[in-house]
Amino acid sequence: MHTLNLLRRSVLGLLIALFGAGIAGAAGAAQLPDTMAKPGGFPERPLSMIVPYGPGGGSGQVSRAMIQGVKDATGIDITPDYKPGGSGMVGLKTYMAAPADGYTVLEHIDDATSAFAIGKSKIHPAVNLIPLVISQITFSQIYIRGKETRFNDWDSYVKFVKAQGGKSTIANVSGEGSMERINMNRIAGHFGFKVQQISFNKGGQRYGALKGGQVDALFEQPGDVRGFLDSGDFKPILTLLFERPSAFAKVPSMKDVGLTFTPLMRFRGFYINKNAPADRVKYLQWAFQKGFHTDSYQAFNKKKFMDLIPSFRDTEGAKKLINDTMGVYKKVYKEMGLVK
Amino acid sequence: MEAFIDGTLTLFGSPLSVLIFFCGLIGGLLFGAIPGINMLTLAAIFLPFSGLLSASDAIMFYSVLYCSGTYGGAVTAILFNIPGAPENAPTAFDGYPMTQKGQAGKAIGAAVICSAFGGTCSVLLMMLATPVLAEVAVVYFGPPEIFALIFFGIAVASSVGARTLWKGWLSVGLGLMMATVGLDPVAGIERYNFDYVYLLAGLHFIPIILGFFAVSEVFVQAEKRVRGIYDMPKFATSFPSVAEFWKLRFAVARSVGLGFFAGILPGIGATLAAFLSYNEAVRWSKTPEKFGRGELEGVVASETANNAATGAAMIPLLALGLPGGALTAMMVGVFQMHDIEPGPLVFINSSDLVWVVFAAMFYANIAILVLGFLETKTVLHLLKIPFQYLAPAILLLSTVGAYAVRSLPMDVVVMFVAGLLAYLLRRTGYSVAGIILGLILGKLGEQNFALAMQMVSYDMWVFISRPIVAILLFAGFATIVTNLIRALGGRNRGIAL
Repeated sequence: MHTLNLLRRSVLGLLIALFGAGIAGAAGAAQLPDTMAKPGGFPERPLSMIVPYGPGGGSGQVSRAMIQGVKDATGIDITPDYKPGGSGMVGLKTYMAAPADGYTVLEHIDDATSAFAIGKSKIHPAVNLIPLVISQITFSQIYIRGKETRFNDWDSYVKFVKAQGGKSTIANVSGEGSMERINMNRIAGHFGFKVQQISFNKGGQRYGALKGGQVDALFEQPGDVRGFLDSGDFKPILTLLFERPSAFAKVPSMKDVGLTFTPLMRFRGFYINKNAPADRVKYLQWAFQKGFHTDSYQAFNKKKFMDLIPSFRDTEGAKKLINDTMGVYKKVYKEMGLVK
Repeated sequence: MEAFIDGTLTLFGSPLSVLIFFCGLIGGLLFGAIPGINMLTLAAIFLPFSGLLSASDAIMFYSVLYCSGTYGGAVTAILFNIPGAPENAPTAFDGYPMTQKGQAGKAIGAAVICSAFGGTCSVLLMMLATPVLAEVAVVYFGPPEIFALIFFGIAVASSVGARTLWKGWLSVGLGLMMATVGLDPVAGIERYNFDYVYLLAGLHFIPIILGFFAVSEVFVQAEKRVRGIYDMPKFATSFPSVAEFWKLRFAVARSVGLGFFAGILPGIGATLAAFLSYNEAVRWSKTPEKFGRGELEGVVASETANNAATGAAMIPLLALGLPGGALTAMMVGVFQMHDIEPGPLVFINSSDLVWVVFAAMFYANIAILVLGFLETKTVLHLLKIPFQYLAPAILLLSTVGAYAVRSLPMDVVVMFVAGLLAYLLRRTGYSVAGIILGLILGKLGEQNFALAMQMVSYDMWVFISRPIVAILLFAGFATIVTNLIRALGGRNRGIAL
């Protein structure tokens, strides 16, 4: 009980940090200089951005939007290089193998943090990497097919999953210990059902799996599946927030269904190797933070519901977010017996 | 028909649109032909500029680039044994031996015609039934079916290009083993990297293809020169006759079907299409022993299928918003830059745009025919370059291509090691095609198998009770057993045990 209370306090602290630091980070970003001299002519050629997931999912989408934003703000060309696999580990380790010269940047999500916390990765995203900017922080939802006939809301879904005796399936993006798994395990624990969580690294396959009825449900963030929501192909049946956000006023929140744990959030950002030359790091921090504030990137974030929670974090704000999240994950893993 | 005419009028309605159409067409042909630097490179370079264009011009550029870039790699595969992209690798199996026999013109002519034909057929199918076909693909083909399809492809490939059945299987096995190097695609566990950080990223198939094809060929030809038995490829521009194509009509139809089928499955695409089609051409042939030695049908099967996959790959993208590969994913980005979400609503909200894409891909495939013939007349003259000048150029181009994939020096080393390995393996009757197929399909197969097993709660009975899975697995096992029986009975038309 004591552990659970401690955990709740930690997660609550994290949420306060999420909202509070967001406001502070946004204010700091507004003071960015309009121009910045290129350090020693850097970059002389296009940069490469390693994206550790497939091109069709949320990471692929935010990478392309940020590439456009950086181009609009600074004229720098960046080429995306998709390295899906191993819940983001393939891309992360591939990135660390690239020369630390500033010409290769990394997109990554909170999986990098959870993987370090559980011991699956030795790369601490706020120590071995320098966050250039965190550009998306968002909540998750559970979706079913718009044409689903076996269940049509949260209550009937829970009933269906229980009747399947552990054989019901839900698609997500990341493996053991990830944000999705922890949130889903807690939901399953609360309602007393078992569900097969299947991690598809590529967005196209993940969304295709739900659309085609290969899986029963999907754990995802609303911005990543906006097109499917607009077309009625996907239907949200639960929002993992305590209150219903205005954009999803008809979808039950955690409070509505009796869930009391504080949900973990998804965040996506851009990083550089800590061994990259300091002047290049500073220049790229400016370039990516400017990229965030371009009209094109802001329009993208708004369209992806990323304006519902303050999304921007500069380097210091990002480090705090990562470290706070790391602390929460470690506590959760301890509680679950996944780490000592 | 009215919508198609409207799309055509929009496409050619302004000088800028016409210019962009030809930029995509020629850009794809050029970038597709350079190994290591392919149409994706041009697509990525162009991405930031696409926001400056109108939505229809921007999407049209990528559609045209996709068609011409897929064909572009066939030319270097045929002339120099350097496939511009993995989907052109099976083209080299017979295209290059045809060049050595003085039939380069015929091979390139066939590639041009078949690319245009395969592409046009798939665009027509795409126009007729995109929403229906997309539904069928995602409903009936999940990870279990895709794994079973890959298993079937590998089972069929086990006898392609090898001197004996055992050597064929060993070749595929070697390719599968090479695919395990690096991080595993399910949990990210490190495998066979020997604490060498660069091996964590795995062995990329482009440097290996360049080594197996281009570098090993330079070694082979160099050996012939040293021994005084080198024959310079004969220069000839004779194109395939109508009669030759008529003989191959069933192969072409089969390749269109296979290419379209593979292209429509998200995440599969043109490479598997080309390999499957080539393998089936061998399987159905009355003279399978001729494949790999300059059989026109090999070029026809590969090039028809890989271009047929391009139109098909647009179907899940447009109808469902599901990109199957890197280029179609970039197209999602282009759609979004213009505030359009690909998916079912695109046919309602932006049907004019969809028909511009259909029209652009249709005319791009027609244009490949014209430009391809012009290209054939000119690039064939490259064969007149003496070997002592051509070989260093091939090695230099391959080295640049291998390095350009990931900017890793290791890839250049891998390419030369693969070249040496292939030089030795080719002398001893092992199948380069089998190794490459195993390498390319190994990771994809492993990933889909792991997903499939999770989906069926690790219950093999549920797994094989899915009808398509059962049929494909049965067909795969039947192929293996049939080959074995034939080899044991000495009736396998060229393939011994």
